Amino acid sequence: MKAGWIAILRKEIKSELRQKSGLVTTLLFGIFAVITISFATFDLAISPQLAAGLLGVAMLFSAIVGLPRVILVEEEQGTGDLLRLLAQPEDVFWGKAIYNLLFMVATTIAISVLFFGFTHMGLRNLPLLLLCLSGACMAYAGTVTLCGALVAHASNRTALAGVLAVPLLLPLSFMAVSGLRVALDVNEAFNLTRGFISGIGLVLYGAATLSVGSYLFAAVWKR
Amino acid sequence: MLGVSNLGKRYGSRWLFRNLGFRLGSGDCLVVLGENGSGKSTLLKTLVGLLTPTEGKVEAKAKVGYSALDLAVYPALSAREHLELSGELRGIPNDADRLLDYVGLSRAADQLAQEFSTGMRARLKMAIALQAAPQVLVLDEPGAGLDEVGRNLISRVVEDQLKMGVVVLATNDPQERRFASFELEIKS
Repeated sequence: MKAGWIAILRKEIKSELRQKSGLVTTLLFGIFAVITISFATFDLAISPQLAAGLLGVAMLFSAIVGLPRVILVEEEQGTGDLLRLLAQPEDVFWGKAIYNLLFMVATTIAISVLFFGFTHMGLRNLPLLLLCLSGACMAYAGTVTLCGALVAHASNRTALAGVLAVPLLLPLSFMAVSGLRVALDVNEAFNLTRGFISGIGLVLYGAATLSVGSYLFAAVWKR
Repeated sequence: MLGVSNLGKRYGSRWLFRNLGFRLGSGDCLVVLGENGSGKSTLLKTLVGLLTPTEGKVEAKAKVGYSALDLAVYPALSAREHLELSGELRGIPNDADRLLDYVGLSRAADQLAQEFSTGMRARLKMAIALQAAPQVLVLDEPGAGLDEVGRNLISRVVEDQLKMGVVVLATNDPQERRFASFELEIKS
């Protein structure tokens, strides 16, 4: 792998900092989701299961709203051909996947800080929480980048990206919720080892989608 | 430098072109003519590798540069940043200043492309196409949207290119036909 992916990553960051379309939309979605959840559960004690589900849903939808855009926008603004002429497919995939990973990390930090701030949830195990959140970021970035690439040439690509992502994101969401509910379980009702297995599963899922994605992307990127 | 044999492209049941064959060497300029929608742009995209031919093959034993009316640039990047990006991706040294001067965009070097006129975008795309010093230059409607100064630039680029390589030019502009060593008309 050459350093071309760094040039793509730099282009994505510059474009996002100047246009602010993707990050603002995603952050606003995440912030509103957390505030709405906090408002709805204002006078309730939230169980770790429910809290894990709510945090998982906020992350999942933030990923679906923001991440496919990084590939689809190339076709929508007509720059896909320019990129095809200049760059190797693996450079495009890695540049965009790493951008999506950074994007997902920034969004997850914002959502998590707000979530814990508003809901006053307790925490059982910080390393497990960090493992689950970072694994989920990797897996969301890899899966959604791949889905964006697969539908890039389709006419109704935005809708199709969401549909295609569902079967790939379901097992990932199950693992994320399964790990997060143990990390948030202050009553220690759930087995900690199972939580770590879910967290490691998320990291492996992310590594698998990223590595398989770079090969699949080369096949689908060229017309 | 550029050879095509038995080339064909089909969309659905409609063949845009078929059994196409030619071989171009240094100093040759092929002008591709045809009505709108006849398949000129598709042929050029097939020549540069953006589209896969349905049958036949393209052999380019040289670096290829491509500029087209429907090729977009990044709205949030400046002209200089476009050339820095393309230079990095191609693995060639940064020569943005020389290229921007050549295409007459020096004063707009740090202006974002979203503020560019159609003609300025065409100049930027020409600079990107020329950056790799291509032996084969493929231009799709290069004069469209350009003023007199821009058209003079196209003439200069084509004349300079023909001293060291090949030009393939799709156009309906009678003035640009004067460069032709060969003409190819695609009929729909």
